[in-house]
Amino acid sequence: MITALRGATVILGDRAVLRDLDLEVGPGVTVLRGPNGAGKTTALRALAGLVPLARGTCEVPFDLLYLGHRPQMLHGLTVRENLRFFTELRGRTSRAPAYSAALGVGGAREARIGGAIGRWGLSADADRPVERLSAGQRRRASLARLDTEWCGLTLLDEPFAELDDAAVALVHASLASARDRGDAVLVASHGHADLDEIAGRIYRIDDGRAA
Amino acid sequence: MRGAWLVAARELRADARHPDGFATAVTFVAALVLIESIVVGPQVARETTVAPALYWIALLFAAIVVTTRSFDRELADDAIDAVLALPGGRDALYAGKLIALAATIAAVGLVGGVLQIALLDLTLALPGHALVAVALGVIALPAVVIIDVALTLRLRGRAALVPVLAVPALLPQLVAATNALGLALSGDATGSLAWSGLLLAIALVYAVLGLTIAGTAIE
Repeated sequence: MITALRGATVILGDRAVLRDLDLEVGPGVTVLRGPNGAGKTTALRALAGLVPLARGTCEVPFDLLYLGHRPQMLHGLTVRENLRFFTELRGRTSRAPAYSAALGVGGAREARIGGAIGRWGLSADADRPVERLSAGQRRRASLARLDTEWCGLTLLDEPFAELDDAAVALVHASLASARDRGDAVLVASHGHADLDEIAGRIYRIDDGRAA
Repeated sequence: MRGAWLVAARELRADARHPDGFATAVTFVAALVLIESIVVGPQVARETTVAPALYWIALLFAAIVVTTRSFDRELADDAIDAVLALPGGRDALYAGKLIALAATIAAVGLVGGVLQIALLDLTLALPGHALVAVALGVIALPAVVIIDVALTLRLRGRAALVPVLAVPALLPQLVAATNALGLALSGDATGSLAWSGLLLAIALVYAVLGLTIAGTAIE
């Protein structure tokens, strides 16, 4: 087990968005399902340490990659600059291979970022400010972080939103690779039933509770 | 500190590409100086007690403008969440924004100062001392305003709440900065340096306090 919510209750305003939720995430792909407003995003944000728990516990691991339901790219910077910033700020992770590219130094880091940009089909737009890209391109740029930051735990909130079929296939391939490496990935999604085929564990929540 | 410098560099790069916050702040400072000199008359506006007070009040509101703009950019695609979810992200975000916004406000202060000198035909008796006062005075502004903007980040009344929270906290800084600059204008080197020393102390206290509570404020 990499991380877990135990008896997690989150109150936003005057509403309990999560109620005594237990959720374990171990190596492989875990899927969190539920209708709109069920509390999936809040559960992921709690695991990422972005919302305080009113009750319960959560251990936030050191090397965690959280990709929210919006692209999280800073406007004013290009795709390449955003990816470089996150890679440099994160530094080394537990999943980084022990060779120079993993150290995030100089040309090796740039090659890694360039490779991710190419894989996610952003080569032609890599040096344009992200606000000039379409929503789908910005989402691809965000997902390119899967290839530039190697983390033991990845939290993906509705990763298929705004993506075309080719990008959806790339996400599936990334999830399968993560599973094969033994990394832990938690995906919150209300659709894409085919996700269940690669999921080791599926949770369902509704109205903030396990369903 | 490495994270802080990375955040600061990111902030300044985005600012350089879209300098709308800087341009708005400079326009605001220039408009305020011009309006005030018309309202009270150039003789009063030129006095060494009035001109520095006007300058620092204008810079305070300029600091609110550029800090709010900076966080608006963070919220546009939830970029702030990605930084906060990184190890040490909260501290890096606060310290990085403090460095970058202090630099931006200093640039606004320099342009605004030159405009004020030109518009009011001011004579600066001790330009070096005035520069020291401005350099030290601008550090405390983002140290406080960043916390206030973070506290009100997702509130609808943010535009009204930020000045209400910032002005009382920054009163000691405004008094010290106005005196340091006023005495530099009138040629009192010792007095100006004494007030600048107080400005340095205020800047350090606010920056340390800000670093201490930034994580909680952002949460």
